[in-house]
Amino acid sequence: MEPKVRIEDLQAGEEAFSLSKVVKREEVKAYADASGDQNPLHQDDNFARSVGFPGIIAHGMFSMALVAKAVTDWVGDPGALKRIRVQFRAPVFMAEALVARGRVDQVDPSSRRVTLSVWAEVDRAGERQLPVKNSRAEVELS
Amino acid sequence: MAMNYALKGKTYQEVTFTVDRDRVLQFCDAIGEDNPIFRDPAAAKEAGYDEQLAPPTFPTVMQIMTSGQVVMDQELGLNYMMVVHAEQEYEYHRPLKVGDELTAVPRIADAYARGPNEFLVIEAEMRDRSGETVVVARSTLLSRGTAGG
Repeated sequence: MEPKVRIEDLQAGEEAFSLSKVVKREEVKAYADASGDQNPLHQDDNFARSVGFPGIIAHGMFSMALVAKAVTDWVGDPGALKRIRVQFRAPVFMAEALVARGRVDQVDPSSRRVTLSVWAEVDRAGERQLPVKNSRAEVELS
Repeated sequence: MAMNYALKGKTYQEVTFTVDRDRVLQFCDAIGEDNPIFRDPAAAKEAGYDEQLAPPTFPTVMQIMTSGQVVMDQELGLNYMMVVHAEQEYEYHRPLKVGDELTAVPRIADAYARGPNEFLVIEAEMRDRSGETVVVARSTLLSRGTAGG
């Protein structure tokens, strides 16, 4: 399939995408069932409090899924995604608005590869936190 | 208790996993994936693929079995209650699709301490029936405050 973006139109430094969702408890439960990761940290508030959080947190992979979706929505063809590497650096709590964002870092016309900086952010009491940071995605455009 | 860094390079029992259509749909619902290429074989065919694709992070479902063996390894001595998922990487050789029958041999790619924390990198190279690599998954787990204890 044809990618939505053309390498000729991309410039290093430009913002590529922004995709947001409000994280809901029932979605995190659905994610536990769909992924098979039943760690109580993502389901049981009492357990989460016992290990130092104010309540349950979303799976890191739940945030990564939003980041990956933002990349494939942007590029159009999911097959264009060649590599994604993320670091999980902060928790995501229930009812927070999680925003996946990306910026074009490198454009290589000879290999048709585009490297993006990707991250996920939340606004927590007026302060920007980065649950996903220092992360990269590589896409290959036909 | 520190973990056993000498296990770097250790491999585990091969895991087999079939990409099931209902499981892909369940996964799409859970992550809010509405792109028809991941939900409808006809839409995938229209886009030039022979089958419905699985979302890029779907291999995490297989990793419960690949990483699971490693974290439960008594010889490694990981305290799972202290573990958080620090990093995840996927290297795609082709998109994963419904019906793929995958195998992977889990491997400890790295195990080391940095400051008070310990890091464990588990790699799973997922191959299809013809032996071609589909995706390489690398998970970095961080064990909080367990180094040198």
